[in-house]
Amino acid sequence: MSLIPFRMKRSNGMEPANLTTMTDFRNEMNRLFEGFFSRPLMGSSGPSWFETGEPGQWMPAIDLSESGGEIHVRAELPGIDPKDVDVSVSEDRLVISGEKKSATEKTTDGWTHRESHYGSFNRAIPLPEAVDPAKVTARYDKGVLTVELTKSPTSTSRKVPVLTQ
Amino acid sequence: MVNPTQTAPQAANQPRPEQPAQQPKAAAAPGLTYQPNVDVCDCGAEVMLVTDMPGASAESMDVCFEDGVLSVHAKVPQRSLPGRQLVQEYGIGDYRRSFRLGEGFDASQIAAEYRKGVLTIHVPRLAAVRPRKIEVRPA
Repeated sequence: MSLIPFRMKRSNGMEPANLTTMTDFRNEMNRLFEGFFSRPLMGSSGPSWFETGEPGQWMPAIDLSESGGEIHVRAELPGIDPKDVDVSVSEDRLVISGEKKSATEKTTDGWTHRESHYGSFNRAIPLPEAVDPAKVTARYDKGVLTVELTKSPTSTSRKVPVLTQ
Repeated sequence: MVNPTQTAPQAANQPRPEQPAQQPKAAAAPGLTYQPNVDVCDCGAEVMLVTDMPGASAESMDVCFEDGVLSVHAKVPQRSLPGRQLVQEYGIGDYRRSFRLGEGFDASQIAAEYRKGVLTIHVPRLAAVRPRKIEVRPA
């Protein structure tokens, strides 16, 4: 990013400043592919493992894992007051919703370049197994929300015998 | 975590966001490095940069100004959720981005604060170039 008027720098023999090394190029390509294939489409109407909010809403990226009797969910929510985040749990679904307020919104006397997402978000995450809604903890630290859920004892899988005639 | 940087065209006399300028080799990260989203806002007396860097910490953050380039680098410790990963939508890696400052900014007064995963950098303009309102007095 530059904080000067845009100027091409070919006249002085310099290379384009944004691809100074092959490492930068490789990292940037990895990041683009990673984002393209891993992020669900916003407002997608097709069947999706993860339900989205209203079309046009942004939704936080998440990680989800399970281990033993627990399910772990982590969401990136930078710049959000924990008081503006709602975490609700039903037996088989975790819903994270809230609103991200813009820190630059009050500026009216100049220009603004915006890359971050603002406004309300709502993400319903179907859980791989039923959980106990009473045993859920949520912690917000450095812009990352971590939710720990405990699987419901009744949700344990069982072997189903195949009957024969 | 990051988005491709699409820059909006600005007038010729205004600061213009663009791709990262240069990266100090000494701080090259061994793993992936991410370019954080940034909002740039002209507040009159200063330009404010609001950078999303979830998961970083103020202690691991390096904000430096050298040769007209303001560089931001944050180390992010690898953190993986325990157990079997079912969904992984964002990667963990360091953040790095650079901003080339033009004329008219007071580099000695640059201030930065990190709060709730967001780094905010205040770049004040020199007093001589700050916009000021001229009062029109009735004759």
